[in-house]
Amino acid sequence: MTIPSVNGEETEDGASVVVGQPTRATRIGMSALPYTIRRKSVAHVVLIVAGLAAGVGLILWGGSFGQFNQGQLTLVLSYAIAISGLNIATGYTGMISVGHSAFFGLGAYTTGILVVNYGWNALATIPIALLVCFAAGVIVGLPALKIRGLYLAVVTLAAGVTFPELVDRFAGLTGGSQGLLISLTQLKPPDWSGFTIGQEGEWLYWLSVVLLIIVMVIVHNIVQSRYGLAMMAVRDNELAASASGVNITVLKPITFGVSSAIAGVGGCLFAIYLGSLVADDSFTLLTAVTLLTGLVIGGQGTRFGPIIGGLVVVYVPYYTSSIGQGESSAVLFGVALILVIFLAPEGLMGGIARLASKALVVIPATPQPFSPAARSSSVDSTLASNAPPHDPSIGTAPD
Amino acid sequence: MLAALFVAMGVGFLMGVVVERSLIRPVRRRSENAVLIIGLGLFIALNGADGWIWGPADKVFPQLLPHATSDYLLVGGARLQYDTIGIFLGLVLVVGLLNVLFNWTSLGLQMRAVATNPESSSLSGVNVGRVLALSWGISAAVGSFAGVLLVPVLPPNQLDLGQFFPILIFASAAALFGGLDSIMGAVVGGLGIGIAESLLSGYVTILGGQLQLGVALIIIVVVLLWKPTGLFGTRRIERV
Repeated sequence: MTIPSVNGEETEDGASVVVGQPTRATRIGMSALPYTIRRKSVAHVVLIVAGLAAGVGLILWGGSFGQFNQGQLTLVLSYAIAISGLNIATGYTGMISVGHSAFFGLGAYTTGILVVNYGWNALATIPIALLVCFAAGVIVGLPALKIRGLYLAVVTLAAGVTFPELVDRFAGLTGGSQGLLISLTQLKPPDWSGFTIGQEGEWLYWLSVVLLIIVMVIVHNIVQSRYGLAMMAVRDNELAASASGVNITVLKPITFGVSSAIAGVGGCLFAIYLGSLVADDSFTLLTAVTLLTGLVIGGQGTRFGPIIGGLVVVYVPYYTSSIGQGESSAVLFGVALILVIFLAPEGLMGGIARLASKALVVIPATPQPFSPAARSSSVDSTLASNAPPHDPSIGTAPD
Repeated sequence: MLAALFVAMGVGFLMGVVVERSLIRPVRRRSENAVLIIGLGLFIALNGADGWIWGPADKVFPQLLPHATSDYLLVGGARLQYDTIGIFLGLVLVVGLLNVLFNWTSLGLQMRAVATNPESSSLSGVNVGRVLALSWGISAAVGSFAGVLLVPVLPPNQLDLGQFFPILIFASAAALFGGLDSIMGAVVGGLGIGIAESLLSGYVTILGGQLQLGVALIIIVVVLLWKPTGLFGTRRIERV
């Protein structure tokens, strides 16, 4: 990724001088690739608008699907949200978690219990689930202060194992191994949404789309902020980060809490979509492994990786279930995991971004000419556009 | 039957070596997590392949050790099943052999050297690649041995595809509990987690017979808080 040369600021006419381009072109050889465009230039804005339009098109296309496929997409979206949550802890902060099924399940059961036992509106349960999962996540994240690496996996493992057991233990509240059944009338779309009870699938699809977009914006903002920078510093070198003033004592549990809270929202959607919860089926360690698999295949530490991960973990088993007595999906998953580590260690999304960067590079915006009046804003824009270089999604993906 | 055990261990050894050569070595330098994901992928793929080739239904598994309810030794009123005794003897045998390997042979010395510092051991003439391949082979062979002993005594008492994920979880938790680089730790960790689970389900009635595994793991977490690299694991000193 090209970092703008400081010399560009000092030219006497102050016009936009592209410093990076000629040297880059000579280095690559005669080929015109990669094209470089500046952030916030016309071409860049056009690309972003095109990307947004493509996204809206895809969402509308999904909205026109039949009931079954729309349901599958809703499932994809709920997994994508959960994987986004996992991405915060594992992808951006480097705390590997094999227990996120617990938070996914906790969110689902919070919704289920509030709706069934207390007659809440399903939509109103989501903020509560968010808070509950955040608190649980902070508690599980506390040992991460002392326990690191693979040993930390045991901590999250304990969470993943304990959750279904807790559900069975408190069967009076949760329905235990019998499961918790949410009746359809309790999940009917609210009146203001304009959907009738027969259009429950469509309502749920649009709800999931909106929630996923909110989650993605939140994740984007976290990652762009100082806090996100601190997270990635901890991932890359914890000691150095701590020496540079990152408060690890606060950062690790809070990050884990945020990650769990987002995973919990995915769980809420899962509960509303499924309408019946059985912890021994839906929220075991295998679910945690599924989430982790989706994250790795989609791309750790990328913005759009979780969506690809959600698509993969829902559709690959669906399309392969007819081959080889249903065991082929496991084989495919395993092989895909290994291939991804070999071919695209950054995951599919990271791999795509890397390939795309051979054709197109987005470089930071042209620094404004240095004048006392424009000084503060110029500094701000330079700081803002110097994106962290190790995030593979920056630079190509229109974000 | 005994011959089959040795064949299984031989196949396990070969698979371990092949996996190390083909899958682990290229990514080993990249990160711990990459190796972890490869291992997970391998587990999912192999377990799925077993079901694909031989069908997902449970298989009757031959008993290596006598396993009838009448086959027991009465020691002070406690019934010791012959197969339990057999597995314990197997454990003693494996631990003894590994101790001999690590402490009395040149290969063991090389393995410890590679574990401590691959670069300087390579400079001292240790063939690091060969040692790593052999260690993966040995670990896979020991795993096969354990598998053959365990399958008949674990709940369905038959060869069941769903059996192996819990074994993976238990074994990893036990190894981490004891400390990754200690034989003693593996034994204490394994016995500890098993005994804790049984005691909790037998005597702590408030758990209602459901929470024992979770509580056992939480106890492990508490122990890890006190000793972050396991009970017998050596502390890593980080140079800045």
